[in-house]
Amino acid sequence: MIIELKNIYKNFGAVQALTDVSFSIGEAEIHGLLGENGAGKSTLMNILGGVLPPTSGTIVIDGTSYTHLTPHQAVELGISFIHQELNLVNDLKVFENLFINRELTKSKIFLNKKEMIRKSHEVFKRMNIDIDPTLFVRELDTLEKQLVEIARAILFESKLIIMDEPTTALTDKEINNLFTIMRELKKNGISCIYISHKMPELFVICDKYTVLRDGKFIDSGFFKDINENKATELLVGRKIIEDKDIHRNQLDTEIVFEVQDLSCPPYFNNINFNVKKGEVVAITGLFGDGRGELSEALFGARKVSSGKVLKNGKQLNLSSIKSVMKSGVGMIPRNRKERSIIKDMNILNNVSIAHFTSQHKKILIKNKEEIERFEKNQKVTNIKVGSPKDPITSLSGGNQQKVIFARWFELDSDVYLLDNPTQGIDVGAKFEIYKLINYLAEQGKSIIVFSSEFPEIYKVCHRCIIMYRGEINKIFKHDELNEVDMMFYSTGSNKKE
Amino acid sequence: MSGKTFDKAKFKEYMKTKGWPFLKNILINHNYVVSLILLLIIGRIASPNFLSFASLINLIKSSAFIGIIALGMTMVIISGNIDLSVGSILAFTAANTAIMFNNTHSILLSVGYAMFIGTLLGFVNGFFVGKAKVASFIVTLATMAAFRSLTVQQGQGGPILIDQEAYYSILRTIGYGTFLKIPYLVWIFVLIVGLMIFLMTKTKFGRYVYAVGSNEKAAKLSGINVDRIKIYIFSLTGLLTGIAAFLYVTRFGSVDTATAGKSYELDAIAAVAIGGTSMAGGKGFIQGTFFGIIVLYSIDSVLSALRVPAFVNDLIKGILILGAVLLQKVLNNRKVNN
Repeated sequence: MIIELKNIYKNFGAVQALTDVSFSIGEAEIHGLLGENGAGKSTLMNILGGVLPPTSGTIVIDGTSYTHLTPHQAVELGISFIHQELNLVNDLKVFENLFINRELTKSKIFLNKKEMIRKSHEVFKRMNIDIDPTLFVRELDTLEKQLVEIARAILFESKLIIMDEPTTALTDKEINNLFTIMRELKKNGISCIYISHKMPELFVICDKYTVLRDGKFIDSGFFKDINENKATELLVGRKIIEDKDIHRNQLDTEIVFEVQDLSCPPYFNNINFNVKKGEVVAITGLFGDGRGELSEALFGARKVSSGKVLKNGKQLNLSSIKSVMKSGVGMIPRNRKERSIIKDMNILNNVSIAHFTSQHKKILIKNKEEIERFEKNQKVTNIKVGSPKDPITSLSGGNQQKVIFARWFELDSDVYLLDNPTQGIDVGAKFEIYKLINYLAEQGKSIIVFSSEFPEIYKVCHRCIIMYRGEINKIFKHDELNEVDMMFYSTGSNKKE
Repeated sequence: MSGKTFDKAKFKEYMKTKGWPFLKNILINHNYVVSLILLLIIGRIASPNFLSFASLINLIKSSAFIGIIALGMTMVIISGNIDLSVGSILAFTAANTAIMFNNTHSILLSVGYAMFIGTLLGFVNGFFVGKAKVASFIVTLATMAAFRSLTVQQGQGGPILIDQEAYYSILRTIGYGTFLKIPYLVWIFVLIVGLMIFLMTKTKFGRYVYAVGSNEKAAKLSGINVDRIKIYIFSLTGLLTGIAAFLYVTRFGSVDTATAGKSYELDAIAAVAIGGTSMAGGKGFIQGTFFGIIVLYSIDSVLSALRVPAFVNDLIKGILILGAVLLQKVLNNRKVNN
């Protein structure tokens, strides 16, 4: 199948989301679509998937021109869109999900379960994977869910599969499995459009690239002709900030934050570590390491069975989030959409909310103070907004995350827990977040970053704690840190001898 | 008239920067105003008396009981919950207020008692929703049945009567009296509307209600004690229902335990919906509900002015509720797409 999007324009009211964008993909091609958040990648893919109509422009598929597609048409033409938030029904079984809305029947009334299960087995076999089609989807892990979506696309003979950041929740090994399957699909003439922020992956798996920036087409070509630096440059449109802009400040000796024998089975056990003034400690590991639960526990959002946490020598009351906040601990949770953003509120109110719960003594709130509060923090965090009274959902991911940083900066806590602070934001914004972490450390704050990305950890931390199955497996100083060792201890290889 | 001449360019500029955005905001965020105006115009065309001061005041007066309850309901729905028990809370509170009054002949004690009982029953709802974490639909469905049953038991199936002599000399003035030609009921209703708008827009508590309804997890991780906020919300709704119950007693002079407040919850929810509050929580306005309840009540009078047989009133009400909500949906979608 050969698809060409020609001179696509799309505006949402006054906002020009796409300006004269052209894009083409041929048969048996894996095509990387690059762009920062808000560059127009999703809009373009939604147009291809029939979710949005373009304002103007044409879509040419195998020689036939369309002004727009409907979702139904897109499916009929063999285009499958695998969204970042997977579209599977957790309470149905795998095969039921595969055949949803296209159930096989006996005499048009009764479901033909046997046949559906047989065909599911068949498609999994083709993909060389081992998933039991009679399991409930909720019992699957993220990779398996992703694979089920891909299986669905293959089952109904899709010719083009659009994958929107399929690897964010996957481990390296799982990513490799996914790539093997994608290469297999390519052999069978199926094309993929692959959207990702992870540069190395794009170079490994994709043949061609197209870069969008600010809704405009920037460049297209073969990955083999460029390197990562070049790609990043195309992406952000300026020379990337060199790593030397991000540095580690000198450490104080004063211990601010101390975790003693903290346990919360089955997630983590006997966690002991401390953080000094002005220090950035990274905590990392692989899926099932318990670090997400640990971050919640340190903030009082998860009950622990034993152990204690001290701040400046005083024990924290871990049964109340508010009391932890008042003791001077702030937290930026992972998964911004689910845990941070209050979507119906404007930017101002989103900034103020934590201030109200822990520092605002009065019952009444004043608009003027809110604006002052926002502007004060805007200077530090460099949030780009039209009006602070716009809804927070009007911002790009990176700017939303900066609003959340502003929410916690306002409290001027001594300790900051940052759980996956750069999740789902683009390269440019990531660097700005690293600079903010730097800034905090320079102010003498103690910072714990929970992350799984080595380059990020390497850039910002003084020390790195590696967890394996809920226990601290190894602690590295920054000088000793390298990616191979990090993987070695994250996978628990030292314990398997 | 001011000495200035009418400056056309200036006016155009004003409309462009302030006027149109303002109108657009009304149309998109506060379109309940539009439905009300439309309805009033229809009423006016049908009957010349319709838009008189007296008829408007009358409209607000008759909507006061359910209106006050609907204000609480707005808060409950913004927080992402629902309260089906308000009708039963009204009945139970009104019955006990009547008994209190019969025993004491004191307005102050009766009001206090009504507010206390209402708050207490609301607290029961809030406890199960907030602490026990049972879905509010289920909790209040259960308490709706339970509170009603208690009331009927208290009245032995019949009405609870108020000492008529004392009623006429003391209580009735509140239900029927006026101040500056406007009934007390209207004054009280409007005062509570003002207080509730203030509470929801100018206080931390109001902000928390929106936060909990919009994203409970994020609210919790921002340090909001979500359980406690839910208890407050239901208790406050109980308190408002208690006030409505007291007014109900002053107006009607007796409480029929089986029918008092029956299906008030549905009218209250309808008013909230017409007023543009999102049933999914997180979005809504108190003033929307105020307009919503007036729309709901003016339907009756518009229809009678149009000489539509009363039997189909509820049918037309249903259509209008659905129509209002659909209109908001369409306008909201346009807002999102633009």
